[in-house]
Amino acid sequence: MAQPLVKKDDDRDDEAEYSPFLGIEKGAVLQEARVFNDPQLDPRRCSQVITKLLYLLNQGESFTKVEATEVFFAVTKLFQSRDIGLRRMVYLMIKELSPSADEVIIVTSSLMKDMNSKTDMYRANAIRVLCRITDGTLLTQIERYLKQAIVDKNPVVASAALVSGIHLLQTNPEIVKRWSNEVQEAVQSRAALVQFHALALLHQIRQNDRLAVSKLVTSLTRGTVRSPLAQCLLIRYTSQVIRESGSTQTGDRPFYDFLEGCLRHKAEMVIFEAARAITELNGVTSRELTPAITVLQLFLSSSKPVLRFAAVRTLNKVAMTHPMAVTNCNIDMESLISDQNRSIATLAITTLLKTGNESSVDRLMKQITNFMSDIADEFKIVVVEAIRSLCLKFPLKYRSLMNFLSNILREEGGFEYKKAIVDSIVILIRDIPDAKESGLLHLCEFIEDCEFTYLSTQILHFLGIEGPKTSDPSKYIRYIYNRVHLENATVRASAVSTLAKFGALVDSLKPRIFVLLRRCLFDSDDEVRDRATLYINTLGGDGSVVETDKDVKDFLFGSLDLPLVNLETSLKTYEPSEEPFDINSVPKEVKSQPLAEKKAPGKKPTGLGAPPAAPVSTVDAYEKLLSSIPEFANFGKLFKSSAPVELTEAETEYSVNAVKHIFDSNVVFQYNCTNTIPDQLLENVTVIVDSSEAEEFSEVLSKPVRSLPYDTPGQTFVAFEKPEGVPAVGKFSNMLKFIVKEVDPTTGETEDDGVEDEYQLEDLEVVAADYMLKVGVSNFRNAWESMGDDFERVDEYGLGPRESLAEAVSAVINLLGMQPCEGTEAVPNNSRSHTCLLSGVYIGNVRVLARISFGVDGPKDVAMKLAVRSEDEGVSDAIHEIVASG
Amino acid sequence: MLLALLISNSVGNILVERYHGVPTEERLHWRSFLVKLGTDNLKGAKNEELFVASHKSVYIVYTVLGDVSVYVVGKDEYDELALAEVIFVITSTIKDVCTKPPTERLFLDKYGKICLCLDEIVWTGILENTDKDRIKRLIRLKPPAEF
Repeated sequence: MAQPLVKKDDDRDDEAEYSPFLGIEKGAVLQEARVFNDPQLDPRRCSQVITKLLYLLNQGESFTKVEATEVFFAVTKLFQSRDIGLRRMVYLMIKELSPSADEVIIVTSSLMKDMNSKTDMYRANAIRVLCRITDGTLLTQIERYLKQAIVDKNPVVASAALVSGIHLLQTNPEIVKRWSNEVQEAVQSRAALVQFHALALLHQIRQNDRLAVSKLVTSLTRGTVRSPLAQCLLIRYTSQVIRESGSTQTGDRPFYDFLEGCLRHKAEMVIFEAARAITELNGVTSRELTPAITVLQLFLSSSKPVLRFAAVRTLNKVAMTHPMAVTNCNIDMESLISDQNRSIATLAITTLLKTGNESSVDRLMKQITNFMSDIADEFKIVVVEAIRSLCLKFPLKYRSLMNFLSNILREEGGFEYKKAIVDSIVILIRDIPDAKESGLLHLCEFIEDCEFTYLSTQILHFLGIEGPKTSDPSKYIRYIYNRVHLENATVRASAVSTLAKFGALVDSLKPRIFVLLRRCLFDSDDEVRDRATLYINTLGGDGSVVETDKDVKDFLFGSLDLPLVNLETSLKTYEPSEEPFDINSVPKEVKSQPLAEKKAPGKKPTGLGAPPAAPVSTVDAYEKLLSSIPEFANFGKLFKSSAPVELTEAETEYSVNAVKHIFDSNVVFQYNCTNTIPDQLLENVTVIVDSSEAEEFSEVLSKPVRSLPYDTPGQTFVAFEKPEGVPAVGKFSNMLKFIVKEVDPTTGETEDDGVEDEYQLEDLEVVAADYMLKVGVSNFRNAWESMGDDFERVDEYGLGPRESLAEAVSAVINLLGMQPCEGTEAVPNNSRSHTCLLSGVYIGNVRVLARISFGVDGPKDVAMKLAVRSEDEGVSDAIHEIVASG
Repeated sequence: MLLALLISNSVGNILVERYHGVPTEERLHWRSFLVKLGTDNLKGAKNEELFVASHKSVYIVYTVLGDVSVYVVGKDEYDELALAEVIFVITSTIKDVCTKPPTERLFLDKYGKICLCLDEIVWTGILENTDKDRIKRLIRLKPPAEF
């Protein structure tokens, strides 16, 4: 039975620590709720019962439909009472019960009465309750009152109506949108909170109207905003306007002064919001960043953990794009490593890892080692990822960083954490040749005692690829063969494959590998035995020291040369029959994305943190696609594929884009065509290319698409020959040629007769940048020094009057098609000179580095000094020629 | 949006729980996540000392007041600083209602009043009132003093 709820004096607190709700039970409380029906209401008693009901609801107790209805009806009786405290409780209770649509009618009249009451506070509460329980039809009836309430003199009434508006906008947007004028008026209110709520609602109403939002921001940034909360909203909307204006023009950024002014606001909340908005500006310059970083730095040593957290979190993001800007805060950041709040400490560590220089690495690692033991796995993963990037940035420090990774690999941890460490070691082995041997041994030691099958197999596979290429492959065999004894079947099978790879790639090891493989023939698992049998029978030589056939290697370990998706689809459609599955029947063409997916909305950027997805997979996909076409087989290795160039306007009948594939002495244009007309089938689709403005090119073949149904992309190719190794350039005009056949939309049948037709496409150009691969270097200075000045070519050029220095720099980068290094593509505003560092690989696989110093001469004239170093004299000259002729 | 407001006693039993815009099936997960966060970090914490965490795009600010722990969860405009403001209003109001940092018993004694205060502070995921004196008047249906 429930304990009676008695009012107690505070000094009696420590007497009895039992809960006033001890033993509370739903049935009993529902019984008690009958007091609501008493003709003589006892307001106090009723309030107590409502409190109990609230307690039950807050404990997650749910009422059945019947119970809820009963309580709701009983509660509505309480409107008769004049007791103010009870009335307030009733409002809350009705909201909590959220009655169903058919019950709402019982209270609407009481609430409507309260809404027109002379007592303001009845009105405010009635609005909130009504808006919570109402539907569209009732809303139109009370709309007039709500509009009045928005501009009510009493701030509580106005806020109630505005917040209800925000709530109702989700369900009845067309009604709420009609209140714009009133909301606009409320934005000018003298009451701080009314202004805050009005601004939020007005922005939500107009969020799809860019011009309106821009006007709103312009007027408010000039006026005064009373509440810090509203000021924060305004800052957010301002940054949205800045982002959408895509400010590429030179000179000062619009609204920057406003943001900068907010850094001096008296409320910390506003200062922080402004600082963060500045750091998130597109292409923010160091000059713009400085004041924001300064306030964030002050916050780092604040006594308030929330401020420290906010500041370090923001600086962490800034460090990803502008590490130099954050270095000033390093001392404050280091003291945060010992912060009680582990989130703050982790953010500080990872920021330091991003901004630290080579000399501070060892000291940092020491601090991190102490810190790692007392944080949770998810924080550890963040640290591991930061260490990986640090190692790639300072390859010379691989030893201490690799040691750190191997140490933490040995400690306790969950799968995700261990996977992050293994992935990091694998990446370091791939990217830092010196780290290979020690890294592989660390991985070998790890699989000796690894509880995760997935990681063991991943490492075994990796060992199979990298191990045979090391100076002493035999030392890995023991670790691999141990797996065959000690692990589950999946890992054993994987180990057998790895052993076989060693056998196939290292002839001297073959006899010993055969001995081991033969032992696997008696394994208890089918898959392990099958693999061992396959390898013993195919590797050849019966265990003697002979070279394994190339065909066998390709068969066993080569790639399938098929898109796995296609193979999966073919296998799924294969019906078991006498006829075996033929792998040659699997289509090799890579399906482009369907039309719908292609229109990826380029909406709001996700702050500074999200790097674009690596393009590696597309390059691989192109390589596979081209190699599957026999006509291109003798073109050699694909050097580069360009990004798709659109050759048609958006939303035309036929959508075509082209990819330029560059080979040593050939260029292949891949035209991706999509037919966007549902009742047409295109056949024999080709592109007729006129290369009269590209003298060095001669067309060698054209490969049409046989059939192009609606919304299924197809590819047609045109290949050209050009002088070997020469970066020939030229302009090509294109005409799409095809046969159109009508398709009956109801039956899907195609008419037999078609009509020949043509469609003019935009021109396509092959430019010098197409012969350059963007390949960055982690340390430009080291790379520059080690390249030496044997083939250095230096010259000066005048670029004439340019719009700005930044524009000139970006034009030269685009002309050369090289990778800017160390963030030198960004030019600080108003600077008069700039040095840009570029790196790339030129056709013929020649590494090229360029150091370009720009200077502004006179009002707008830009001049530059270009120094090129490469592994080939001719290439250094070629780069100068590109610039001279560009 | 203020996604959640949760008040628990010192051993993690829920006293008040309100969600907005959190699907029902995720609520239990949030409850246990927050309570665990509290048990891991709030031991020995000073009254009203703020703790902060973020999980993906969601922020959490929490604190201890007497025998109860208060957690608020928000996203978008309700970032860590806005949440700090919200939790400050909540704790100062609770202190005001209970006249001091409450014991669990005292909190439950004033349960009805506290529910009313919370209703004035956060409604449908939006911060509505920030001044404890005004809130004190509003729960008695008195207009704000400055009006």
